[in-house]
Amino acid sequence: MKKLLALMLALVMSLSLAACGAGDEEIAVDALDLSTASWEEIVEAARGTTVTFYGWGGDENRNNWLNTTVADYVKEHYDITLEVVGMNIDEILAKLSGEKQMGATSGSIDMIWINGENFYSAKENGLLYGPFTEKLPNMEAYIDLDDPETLNDFCMPIEGYEAPYARAQMVMMSDSAVTPEAPANADEFMEYCKKYAGKVTYPALPDFTGSAFVRNLIYELCGWEQFQTMEADYETVKAAIAPAIEYLRALNPYLWNEGKTFPDSSTTVDSMFADGELVMNMSYGPFSVATGIANGTYTDTTRTFVFDNGTIGNTNYMAIAFDSPNKAGAMVVINAILSGDIQLTQYETLRELPVVATDKLSAEEKAAFDAVEIGEGVLTQAELLAHRLPEMPASLVPVIEEIWLNEVVGK
Amino acid sequence: MRKKKWHIAVLLAPFLALTALLLLSVWNVAIQSFGYIPAFGLTEFTTEHYAKVLQDETFLRALGVSLRIALLSAVLSAVLGVLLSAALIRCRKRDGAMLYLVRMPILVPHAVVAVFAINLLSQAGLVARVAAALGLIAEQSQFPQLLFTPDYGGAIAAYLWKEIPFVAYFVLALMFSVSDTLGEAAENLGASPLRSFFSVTLPLTLPAIVKAFLIIFIFAFGGYELPLLLGATVPKALPVQAYLAYMSPNLRDRPYAMAMNGVILLLALAMAALYGVLTRRMLKRMGGRA
Amino acid sequence: MRKHRFLSFVLGVTAFAILLPMAVMVLWSVTGRWSWPNLLPESYTLRTVQELLFGSAKLPQLLFSSIWLAAVVAVLATIVGVMTARATELYTFFGCSAVQAAGFLPLLVPGTVFATGIQLTMIRAGLSDTLLGVVLVHLVVALPYCVTIMADVTAAVGVRHEEQAAVLGASPLRAFFLVTLPQLLPGILSSLSMGFVLSYSQYFTTLMVGGGRIKTLALVLVPYIQSGDRALSSVYATVFVSSALLVFFLLEWAIKRTEKRGETQ
Repeated sequence: MKKLLALMLALVMSLSLAACGAGDEEIAVDALDLSTASWEEIVEAARGTTVTFYGWGGDENRNNWLNTTVADYVKEHYDITLEVVGMNIDEILAKLSGEKQMGATSGSIDMIWINGENFYSAKENGLLYGPFTEKLPNMEAYIDLDDPETLNDFCMPIEGYEAPYARAQMVMMSDSAVTPEAPANADEFMEYCKKYAGKVTYPALPDFTGSAFVRNLIYELCGWEQFQTMEADYETVKAAIAPAIEYLRALNPYLWNEGKTFPDSSTTVDSMFADGELVMNMSYGPFSVATGIANGTYTDTTRTFVFDNGTIGNTNYMAIAFDSPNKAGAMVVINAILSGDIQLTQYETLRELPVVATDKLSAEEKAAFDAVEIGEGVLTQAELLAHRLPEMPASLVPVIEEIWLNEVVGK
Repeated sequence: MRKKKWHIAVLLAPFLALTALLLLSVWNVAIQSFGYIPAFGLTEFTTEHYAKVLQDETFLRALGVSLRIALLSAVLSAVLGVLLSAALIRCRKRDGAMLYLVRMPILVPHAVVAVFAINLLSQAGLVARVAAALGLIAEQSQFPQLLFTPDYGGAIAAYLWKEIPFVAYFVLALMFSVSDTLGEAAENLGASPLRSFFSVTLPLTLPAIVKAFLIIFIFAFGGYELPLLLGATVPKALPVQAYLAYMSPNLRDRPYAMAMNGVILLLALAMAALYGVLTRRMLKRMGGRA
Repeated sequence: MRKHRFLSFVLGVTAFAILLPMAVMVLWSVTGRWSWPNLLPESYTLRTVQELLFGSAKLPQLLFSSIWLAAVVAVLATIVGVMTARATELYTFFGCSAVQAAGFLPLLVPGTVFATGIQLTMIRAGLSDTLLGVVLVHLVVALPYCVTIMADVTAAVGVRHEEQAAVLGASPLRAFFLVTLPQLLPGILSSLSMGFVLSYSQYFTTLMVGGGRIKTLALVLVPYIQSGDRALSSVYATVFVSSALLVFFLLEWAIKRTEKRGETQ
């Protein structure tokens, strides 16, 4: 009994010691005025520091890439230690808004992986630091500064508050051994669902992928141009997407579980497709079929396809938290990730569409990008970019999600 | 033993400190539900968010869903958990491998339990595959849809998998000490095992069972993970609606989400209070102690 | 002995129902593809095991910090549980039932409210992103379970033996430690395991208050579940469950040994 007590005491003691230790870990806040500092001064200030990068942690390949390739690169070139923390964007925003409410001036988050409505909200509510991108030499060196996706994120002006990270594009996939046809437009998709009744569905909104897929069908039926400037008013949007609502309702009887219920997330749909419960799947990762075939989740006969009119593409970005304790370090790491070297490894190992502008690459760099073997069952980068449609304004997204919930499910 | 006042104060101090921490935290959020978040430019106190929650027509349906999940999970877990606990004691499996086995589900996080449910019970799950292999069904769609249904059977089944062992484990220590002493005594005096269980062991174990029931009821009423992962798209459970509103990227929706959480909290408090009154009466009549 | 047969049957069904999904989980952790209508996977892979052992997550450190944190929480929560139960079960005072009711409060508060609110409190207290902050939060979560478990056992044990010891001249503290505590041991064990489990499986609160600086197994496991990588999440879930079981096993073994030694002395 006494031994047990001694053990407990030892534990409690070690706890209080560790608590002190944790307090000492605080990173020194740099005294440098970032708005006037030169790039050399920023790099110098960042030397020897630690930078934390918060973002979705569910992709082992990306986690490994960040922890090895990127971390080694910034360690070697700038003596920066990169610490990657897996955290969903809504949790990151929840944490930052708590810090904002308490008036905290120094938090624990430096870099954030972000885009779309989350960027819109974070920028609106002062959760991001900026503008900072005009300081980064690689913005000028590698990125097309006039590209709409460099200027706007879901139609929200970026104004230097985030730098591009990777490009995504909605693609669809099926196993050509199970369903030889691949619908190229909304009408063919309807026929496809009728033929394979009960074996097609999409994730319930507000799932990210499900929401994008429904927006894609809306583009098919209502065109995309009118939405770029539309006001986020429930009735306005409802009137504009009326044909799409009609279509989705007509689709319901042929969907999995007769459209009474939709799977909760793209995750579940992925599993159902892999198990053969569904014959078609959709993804925001344009090369995800290659990854799936490579790790054995998908059959070798799985194929990627897009609609003839195109599918929605967007870019995801890197931002800096308003209370980042190491803004200089974050800027240096973001700049490094924009470089041709890192973008190439991202394309190679993660099979992500790079954000660098092809015409800004040297002949050597270009050859290296062209030489990448992207894998089985996917469309080429050129094919994807030729079928790429812009996103809607971020403020329309939740409105459409609400309309879908009220007007489509079970109707 | 002399019972000094300061003893009580010392003994309760850490508990009260932690409770104060909790109340302070709830207060921090409660004011948000009245539309007060100065950091986001919301500075006016208003009850409009509560009005909006209560007027929402989906609210009642969601409440119904949550009550159903909580009640079915708690009742079935309590009954079957007590049975399991009695079986463990009677069959002298109070320790060893069986007890480790019973403790396993308590260890498994809810999100993993949801994965289990999908692996086994979905239309492409192992159970459906066994049915197909036995020739009971020809294809997946003939297997009954157990998950993602509006009756929330999937979520309830997942709760049962986790909570039956919890009840068993929770009441085991008390039930063992009761049945080992008084239960055995009753049997020595000639009572049948069944009778001794129902008239001695069970009533004396009741406080623990009742508490386990309450814990599960409240947990299943307020938990969002399993109904989110295994439930229907509509109607949603109350906590799922609150969770989705909370996770909305628009931070100015926060007061609405918190008002919804406030309603959940008040309902849970009311039910716990009602429950407390009822059980106290019942236990008093049975001569037990709450 | 008909009843025994029925109860054995109950145990058999329980064991099967618990083991089946666990077995499927272990199988999934090395599964490549497993499509309808196969009863066993079509292809196996060691990618998950490789990722687990040589990936970026650094398993040994992760296990060490998770177990250590959960152990501290379990011990502290149990101490608080023993103290609180002693006050409410053995003393009568004004507000006693209010304290008993307050024990359930952490259960009533919706998870997101608790995590958000406690984050704000911890920032104010300067404990955000610290280990101590995370320990405090986990303590609040474990509180209702540990207090309830200890309350039941304390009421059942009572103070009679302790009083006898006091009459025989033992100091109150000594009487408690030598007489009552051993009798509370089954409850203490349950309470320790509950506290451990609750801390071990916390995700959202650890994230909000630890800010990702305090790394635990749950923090790595949950994103893989959310991303739908069934093989990888299964391998982490297997490690999660088996490591916790191992801790329980060692704990019980240690306590039994101590007990035995106490008896022979």
